[in-house]
Amino acid sequence: MEVISQILMPSTLLFLLLGSILGLFIGALPGLSATMGVAILTPMTFWLPPEQGLAMLIAIYCTAIFAGGVPAILVNTPGTPASMVTSFDGFALTKQGKSGLALGVNAIYSGLGGVISVIFLMVFSQPIAQFALNFGAAEYFALAIFGLSIMVSVSGKSIRKGMISGFIGLLIATVGLDPITSTQRFTFNQSDLYEGISFIPIMIGLFGLGEVFFQFLLKNDQNNIKENVKERSDRILPNKKERREMRKPFLFSSILSPIIGAIPGAGGDIASIVTWEQSKRFVKGEKKKEYGKGSLAGLAATTTANNGVIGGAFTTMLTLGLPGDAVTAILIGALMMYGLQPGPNLFVEDPDIVYTIIGLLLLANILVIILGLLGSRLFVRIMMVRKEYIWVSVILFSVIGSFALNNSFFDVWIVFISGVVGLIFRKLDYPLGPMILGLLLGPMAESNFRRALLMGGDFSYSIFFTRPISLILIIIAIVSLIIPVLNKMNQRRKRNV
Amino acid sequence: MKKLMISICIVAIGGLLSACGSSNSSEDSSNFPENQIEVVVPFAAGGASDLVSRTIATEMENELDVPVVVSNKTGGSGTTGMLATKDAKPDGYTIGYVPVELAMVQELGLAEIAPNDYQAIGQLMTIPAAITVSADAPYDTIEEFISYAEENPGEVKVGNSGTGSIWHIAAAAFAQELDLELEYIPYDGAAPAVTALMGGHVDAVSVSPSEVVAGLDSEDLKVLAVMSEERDANVPDVPTLQELGYDINLSGWGGFVAPTDTPDEVMETLQSAFKIAAESEAFTNLLEERGMNPNYKDGAEFQQFAQDQYEYFSELIPSIDLSN
Repeated sequence: MEVISQILMPSTLLFLLLGSILGLFIGALPGLSATMGVAILTPMTFWLPPEQGLAMLIAIYCTAIFAGGVPAILVNTPGTPASMVTSFDGFALTKQGKSGLALGVNAIYSGLGGVISVIFLMVFSQPIAQFALNFGAAEYFALAIFGLSIMVSVSGKSIRKGMISGFIGLLIATVGLDPITSTQRFTFNQSDLYEGISFIPIMIGLFGLGEVFFQFLLKNDQNNIKENVKERSDRILPNKKERREMRKPFLFSSILSPIIGAIPGAGGDIASIVTWEQSKRFVKGEKKKEYGKGSLAGLAATTTANNGVIGGAFTTMLTLGLPGDAVTAILIGALMMYGLQPGPNLFVEDPDIVYTIIGLLLLANILVIILGLLGSRLFVRIMMVRKEYIWVSVILFSVIGSFALNNSFFDVWIVFISGVVGLIFRKLDYPLGPMILGLLLGPMAESNFRRALLMGGDFSYSIFFTRPISLILIIIAIVSLIIPVLNKMNQRRKRNV
Repeated sequence: MKKLMISICIVAIGGLLSACGSSNSSEDSSNFPENQIEVVVPFAAGGASDLVSRTIATEMENELDVPVVVSNKTGGSGTTGMLATKDAKPDGYTIGYVPVELAMVQELGLAEIAPNDYQAIGQLMTIPAAITVSADAPYDTIEEFISYAEENPGEVKVGNSGTGSIWHIAAAAFAQELDLELEYIPYDGAAPAVTALMGGHVDAVSVSPSEVVAGLDSEDLKVLAVMSEERDANVPDVPTLQELGYDINLSGWGGFVAPTDTPDEVMETLQSAFKIAAESEAFTNLLEERGMNPNYKDGAEFQQFAQDQYEYFSELIPSIDLSN
């Protein structure tokens, strides 16, 4: 009872709201990630009592992840890596004049995904945490391969073009110090390249700048949203039929994402990729073909996933004292500054703080829904301004965001170069999704592959097939690789007949 | 309209870039400090080095009456930020945090940086290496661990925070001193290595006791030995390797430096403010909460210590086969 009254104190709620508003901006600006927002604000919250400081940090985390979907939907520029997949269906909906609805779905399902994942944290924290510990190098490799197998289905019209794009991504991911031996690869002795080419500037460049360049050069092309949309819908809330379409993908995603979130190192980016692909099986017939072209089911699955991992990440943090993702790594530091040691003993020694965190997480995710829906109309209205203004602001924010990331001009160059690459890819009709997948999952696949071989002894490959989780993930990956190819072949055969 | 928008855009970006790139310029060192002082931290915001630097910066700000701001210049395994400090104008307005890697990166072939390239302001703390294993492992003391490793050459998997990292070098120095054959498993940082130990994927980790506190509290892990000269405050009952007669002393450490040729009076001002900051309550509390051992050294002592460490690593690292 005391905990509840403490959370509902006006001062705590005020900091929660303040954090949400900050998170909204941090998430919506490409380059400013949830991790960065929490990291920068953590030292400032030490002056506050724990429940107020945590209220602010938790609100920033939950809102920033959701808000990353807003620019992904409106201008095809993911605000955070977790909202990369949101741009697939979200931006397609914007092109159809349904940006309001896409934003509404993003707000509602992000919030609901967050709430359900917190319930998971309350009920199943111990077993989930123990399951997550089973993930060794072999399992991480299999998970990465599973994620990479989705390259095929995000390839769009041509699997060949998708594969080329994906392998370019994998190739760029090899730049930097070798993850196992720390020897230099393609670094040309430039210290800027030691840690590889950062993922976020490439993402901002490919999606944000690339999109702006493309629209700029092809003024009268079909991508010119405003002139081409025939029927604009101002509706934000999904209707009954749409809700039914989204129900199963949402439920599936809300169960799977807390589990993915609990695995250390696997966060909203991987969860949204995996659930987007796997939720297809709950959609029938023609609706399945809509995936990537403005499917509400696909949008619901990814937006549920990006906030759905939060409960999982907190599970690992609170039960094991291990960081579930980059943000919880910083929050562990924050808890230690308050004199609290995250870990199993926290539940025994300081149950109040555990319940406070759970309560704050619930409230923060409910705030996501409220703020998100209230903001949707505003966001749509912002997009009604002349597109030149939008272009300039996307360019400005891309530059500021990428510089702020590491205080490095090198990253600003990466944004511009990736922008040009993004333009060329769009012009030649090469999909960008596979490239981003390769960049994101390549390092995870490579380092864990080699780590697993070190562990297996004598470079034995059997480690990948003798461990059950690894084996299952590899089998699913192979199946999801083969099915789209078989489908294509079937279609071709039918056509020939 | 289109042309206008493009030019606005270019001007805006140009203005922004130049604003970011501008730096303080003050010629007269007798009135130091007159402007904002920047502390370059070579690691990301939120990490231990960042928190340490931010706390010291806040305390120095109180002493010097000018803003002391932290800027994180990450990348290159810490070399990007250290190079930025080295190449900064030696006027005292840009100083930097340096970790133990300062004494290692040259030998690792990452950057031409050595302690000589800086003037030391002072050292803050040390973080010892340690051998930590699972609580239900068949060995309870470091001697039992050593004999187990002797009986199973090449079988004992020791997780570390990356090849060439201080914890890897520590484990390798331990193996070299005792003539053991260990299998080193590099992870991307200490936290994933500890996670792997908790999950039973590796047999031991060579990271610092402060990084395994959660596992110690839950009685999932136990520390067998620490590699510092004195016992570690997190595990006061665990012996040091030196107590047991092995000549091993490997710790991470951190301190502040300025570029060479910073004027003497500026150095004195910085050093005295740094000393007060390092001994402040806020900072000692931070170290205690994060499980790091306070170890203040003044400029001259820190300069000498860093140089000794540099010479030590320059001999040690080539004798270790880093490629596994």
